[in-house]
Amino acid sequence: MNTATRATLRRLAACLLGGFVLALMVGRQEGSLNDFGISFHQAVVGPRIFVFLLIGLVIFVMVTFWPRVVPYLTRPGVAPLGAGLLAVLAAQTVMNWYDPLVSSTGNGKFSGVRTAANASPNLSSVSVAFFGWLAWTLVIAALVACAAAIVTRVRVFGYVTAAIGIVGAVLAYVAHSAVVDLDGGIDHSLGVYADIVGFLLLACAGITAVHARAEVADTRGFLRKVMGYRPGLPIAALGVILGLLAFSTAGWFGALQINDTLAQAHSDFDGTGISSLALNYLGWLGWTLFGAAAVLSLAATYLRNRMLAWVSLILSVVGVVLTFLTLRSMTDIGAQVAPQFGGTWKNLGAGGFLACIVFSLFAAATAMVISSTSAGVRRNVRAKAPTDELPVTSMVKGFRRSSNAMPLLIIGGALALFYPPTLTLTWQNVLVGQIGVFVLLAVGLNVVVGWAGLLDLGYIAFYEIGSYTTAYLVGALPVKPPSWLQMSPLVSIPFAILACLIAGVLLGAPTLRLRGDYLAIVTLGFGEIIQILAVNNPGGFTGGPQGPTVPHPRIHLGGINITWGQDNLPYWYLLLIMLIVVIVLFYRLEGSRLGRAWAAIREDEVAAQASGVNTTRVKLLAFAIGASTSALAGSFFATQVGYFDPSLFTLQASILIVAYVVFGGMGSLQGAIAGAAVLTWLPQFLKAQVPQDDRQMWIGALVLAMMIFRPAGLLPAKRRKAELEGLDAAASSETAAVPRAGAM
Amino acid sequence: MTESIDLSKGQETPTSPAVSSSSTLLNVDDIEVRYGTIRALKGVSFHVNEGEIVALLGANGAGKTTTQKTVSGMLRPSLGAITYDGKRIDGIPAHELIRLGICHVPEGRHVFPRMTVHENLEMGAFRFKKIDQTDLDNVLEMFPRLKERYKQLGGTLSGGEQQMLAIGRALMGKPRLLLLDEPSMGLAPLVVAQIFEILRDINNSGVTVLLVEQNAAQALGLADRGYVLETGEIVLEGTGSDLLADDRIRAAYLGEEIAAS
Repeated sequence: MNTATRATLRRLAACLLGGFVLALMVGRQEGSLNDFGISFHQAVVGPRIFVFLLIGLVIFVMVTFWPRVVPYLTRPGVAPLGAGLLAVLAAQTVMNWYDPLVSSTGNGKFSGVRTAANASPNLSSVSVAFFGWLAWTLVIAALVACAAAIVTRVRVFGYVTAAIGIVGAVLAYVAHSAVVDLDGGIDHSLGVYADIVGFLLLACAGITAVHARAEVADTRGFLRKVMGYRPGLPIAALGVILGLLAFSTAGWFGALQINDTLAQAHSDFDGTGISSLALNYLGWLGWTLFGAAAVLSLAATYLRNRMLAWVSLILSVVGVVLTFLTLRSMTDIGAQVAPQFGGTWKNLGAGGFLACIVFSLFAAATAMVISSTSAGVRRNVRAKAPTDELPVTSMVKGFRRSSNAMPLLIIGGALALFYPPTLTLTWQNVLVGQIGVFVLLAVGLNVVVGWAGLLDLGYIAFYEIGSYTTAYLVGALPVKPPSWLQMSPLVSIPFAILACLIAGVLLGAPTLRLRGDYLAIVTLGFGEIIQILAVNNPGGFTGGPQGPTVPHPRIHLGGINITWGQDNLPYWYLLLIMLIVVIVLFYRLEGSRLGRAWAAIREDEVAAQASGVNTTRVKLLAFAIGASTSALAGSFFATQVGYFDPSLFTLQASILIVAYVVFGGMGSLQGAIAGAAVLTWLPQFLKAQVPQDDRQMWIGALVLAMMIFRPAGLLPAKRRKAELEGLDAAASSETAAVPRAGAM
Repeated sequence: MTESIDLSKGQETPTSPAVSSSSTLLNVDDIEVRYGTIRALKGVSFHVNEGEIVALLGANGAGKTTTQKTVSGMLRPSLGAITYDGKRIDGIPAHELIRLGICHVPEGRHVFPRMTVHENLEMGAFRFKKIDQTDLDNVLEMFPRLKERYKQLGGTLSGGEQQMLAIGRALMGKPRLLLLDEPSMGLAPLVVAQIFEILRDINNSGVTVLLVEQNAAQALGLADRGYVLETGEIVLEGTGSDLLADDRIRAAYLGEEIAAS
């Protein structure tokens, strides 16, 4: 047996073992009192195991025959096939299909609907069949046909795939609406839409596979061509589709009980004393605004007309404002007239907020037109007859130029403003208390760990100091501040930041001579000391393990009166302001002299010193800036949560934040945001997918896979990528032209 | 930044060798440096005149790098004084000495491996608010290699190119006194010759050079004067050509079998 055979055999064993481990991971983990090994039995003994072994075998075949597989994997059609499969799989395994089932049986997913469908005799047979066996059969058939189309390039296979995809999409819609019509519950689930998109993608894959002339797929180029054909047009088109949904079928009032559409809301609110503007909006103004904005933005993007774009932009902004005013009027009147449907801002459906997002999409699309038609491109268009197509290259350029940050910022801003109100209360809580706060913390730690390269394992201590400073200053601790110092929570934020700045400098000054592991140990010790201090209640200052109760923030400034209470949504907007301020500041900081100095000391401290960087001061600054961000988060957290105790500030929390930063991509601002957002969202998402106790295992598996296959993180910083992937891999394309030989 | 204005003035005045040889730019007076209880330098004294190239020679462990580090502010002498341009500078940290025009190229090159050549050079001008385009052009003219690899990452350069980058980076700080620690380390003889050629050009443009070297033949061929360090003490000094002719030097550093002949 030669080495090659032995290596192949070892790989086979490894792949099968991987499948075996996966089999153990999927499904119940806990045993029962009668049979401690029950979960092992279920996982291993039974036909189920063969599915997982098959997965291992497929991976083995793929790896072993990789050079022969690659030419097929790069063919046109593979990318949409993958995306479509992913969408369909996600829709039919993890996403919700019917919300009322969640409250009644606890399972509103595809499988839950199947059980319910089988039990209801009045449901149409198509629907029962779709949820029963048809859907999965269609997926497999489409997969087989599409694979055949990709491999053989015979047209028939492609058309068959397309037919299956379209049938699947139609059936999914029909089956889902049959369920909704029969039961009549209020459904906000997205599973069916993801399923439809997935099936349509499969159809596209089939057509692409047999009609594309290229041997190697150029997905990115294709997308760029589509997006670049008319900058903004795809966004405007998306706006039209979502807008039609928002204005015709989406619920505008009575989120959880009645779900009035726009038209129903109009008749319900007629004569309730609602403002005439709102009434008109619900009646005809909304549709008119939407229609006008849609037509104008489509025309502006298609004709690339600056004038039309400006008009459409203004109309879209007016649309957002009027929609918002209408919503406010509706929610106030609704809370008075029909309090059984929820209080202010809790009685609205998703429709109104979706309409706001739609208008923002139109604004983003027209903003793209405005930025892409500046100077050269516009003159070019005017010089030629309208029918005369621009050559692709210049259109692509037009897209690239217009793909500036503005439209993305508009869309991102619209989502941040108008999406959270449509979330359930649980998710709003997660958004504020988990995602938002930890994003803030990760962004702060990224300065210390990612930019300055100092491993800080006691970061949570600054968060704790920030929380306790606010608690002290509002008089929530056993030791009260002098009366002249007592203040409201929001005013205490600058003082909390100051306290953490001082604490950061006090910790940093003596310890920043240390490097790497030594610094990590010292900061770890610091974190522990602060936490234990809070528990031990020295001098009765902290109140011990009990923890303080901090009042919610309020603003009384002249005519402005804002009070925050139990509801999480208002905190989100407060947090959003903080996040924007911090992110903008840090974004500017990264490119500043200080940012360059951090990069330099991270790269080579001796060289940084030789270049005139005051390394001690710069490191201290990183520490202080990181600490003050943490203080901001801590201060916010204390006043938002209302009650906290020292058990939250453990070493585990510090390590988790480091993990967020590393997962997202050390040294990259977007990475820190994405890392924290994904890893705080995931446990909540997994709650509905796997047994409670298995969550950590799946998160661990994800982090492990990430570090193996994408060690630079989710959205890596350019420089850090070079560090991990070797210098040659990340060298710029200009380098490739330089011959590698010629060493001196 | 008043210092930098003064400096640029001082640098603009042409420094002809005749004038500069009389004025002492750097004077190291009987310094002693300790690493814990070990005395690495036991009273080292030497001086560098404006416009000169001075070589500091010595075997491994003689204290060359310690001397260089002390002059560049990374170590602090326990005894003795260092004066630069008439001012005491011992104990001033490295990043502040750069403002006075003392730039150094550390031992082992120390380029920023994951910054491009351009970014490396930019870091050299860190003490200025804005990068000086003429300086950049001069450096790129001096090192055409760096121009070729302008967008390449520092760590991907060859040893010689990295040394050039390190020197170029130091030049971006508008030095009056350039300290170099073993620029020939680990480089092919041809490249060493090339780098020493460039050092001569730099010196001709008015920059005083203090060179710490093991490669005695090359260094003394370039230097106006030289000092030889042995176990923390200066044992020999003289002009470059004198030292090059000295039997002891030839025996110790050039490997010639004087004793046998």
